[in-house]
Amino acid sequence: MHERLSYYVKRDSALHRLNPLTKIILALSIVLVSIVSPWYWTAHILLLLVIVPLSFAGRVSREYFTSAIRLILPAAGFIFLMQAFFQPIGNTVIFKYLFLDVTQESLSFAFRISTRIAVMISAFTLFLLTTHPSELMSDLTRRGLPPQFAYVIISTLQILPQMQAKAQTIIAAQRSRGLDTESTFFKRAGSVVPLVGPLVFGSLVEVEERAIAIEARGFTSKSIKTSLHEIPDSLSDKIIRWVLILLVLLSIALKIWLS
Amino acid sequence: MFDKIKKDFTTMTWVLIPVAIAINIAIGQIVVLLKLPVFLDSIGTVLVGIICGPWAGALTGALANTIWGLFNPDSLPWWPVAFFIGLVAGLCANAGLFKNWWKVILSGFLIALTAAIVSTPISVYLYGGITASGSSFITAYLLQTGQGIWSAVVSTSFLTEPVDKITTAMLAFAIVQGLSKRLVARFPRPENAEVEEGTNRTQLIIALVVVVVVIALGFLVRNMLAG
Repeated sequence: MHERLSYYVKRDSALHRLNPLTKIILALSIVLVSIVSPWYWTAHILLLLVIVPLSFAGRVSREYFTSAIRLILPAAGFIFLMQAFFQPIGNTVIFKYLFLDVTQESLSFAFRISTRIAVMISAFTLFLLTTHPSELMSDLTRRGLPPQFAYVIISTLQILPQMQAKAQTIIAAQRSRGLDTESTFFKRAGSVVPLVGPLVFGSLVEVEERAIAIEARGFTSKSIKTSLHEIPDSLSDKIIRWVLILLVLLSIALKIWLS
Repeated sequence: MFDKIKKDFTTMTWVLIPVAIAINIAIGQIVVLLKLPVFLDSIGTVLVGIICGPWAGALTGALANTIWGLFNPDSLPWWPVAFFIGLVAGLCANAGLFKNWWKVILSGFLIALTAAIVSTPISVYLYGGITASGSSFITAYLLQTGQGIWSAVVSTSFLTEPVDKITTAMLAFAIVQGLSKRLVARFPRPENAEVEEGTNRTQLIIALVVVVVVIALGFLVRNMLAG
């Protein structure tokens, strides 16, 4: 139940040195191109010839492959099996069991969709492995994102582990008092309220205190705040961003032109 | 218009949003632990919608999915669904639909309807109708019986969403009722949480029985369709 909250691995690499905005555009354009591209093999090529080399360039290949096995492979594999068995397309039956049939067409469709999902998850995993959340937020705030958004995201990342720890404590406490969390359906459904109640009320009471605290530190002040930590944004970053945007527009145009 | 929306975003709202997102995720995990056939992962979103207005609710939903996506990237593409859940919950609350148990059930149903409509195109275009969620077994079954992809996905959502979203709305309502009046008054829209007279435990029990009957009927209809 307890997950690692930030994927970020602190290393020095070309990918780490890129501006956070460039990296998020990179991830988004990989995903968009893999979805809109009219060619069958685009997603597979992106995965093998863009994402894997990028993971080496970012010196996070070991972490990337670990998460690929733990996270991406199960998700994509499940979708592949579901699609292969259940898509009612095609006539060339390869394998048949009861009412399930795997056809050549459903196999190739499944392969395409599951690779697309793998590309989507991979692109963002790579982005998260090489970008620290607060670096991304301070860069976006500098570019005009209201600072409240940065507060919400960073503060959620801090509250979440506390909340999960609190949930564990409440579950343990209620179990020790005899709450049934494992037997019949109705017993389990009935134990939602004694678990959710203390968790929610406990955390909502803190809201007011926190509001007063950040208000006292100039949260709603409109003056521009200076940042202690400068985030580099080089010329090559700008060029990469424009090239990526052009590539996305190009593939959308191709899709429209070919369909 | 903008000034009106801005009024909903007080410091209290901004501080509540992260807590609500954490509540979404923590409760979602408790429900997984209890092995219940629902998600209940938008209670915080609905809560913000009730006491801080529709746009704050919508923002909470969208950000919740973005942040959830930081360690479960599969949930990223579903952010429009969460956005509309928060928005509709807030609109229902503004219309006075979070004031007694009957109306709460109606709101839950409206939220479910929205969620079903918004999630269908995402599911069809991105996943070809069959997603990583367990309810896809129903979609897959309907596809096998010869239904078109759109109708299969929509009918799956209509079977699974109402149970989840009605429970969510009821729990959010119960939470708002449990908060002290003084605390609720600090948020932008305390009037949305004022309870009508005659709202009590008996009404809750009758409402619950009605919901159970409706769900049972739903299962019957589904079984009949399955033949």
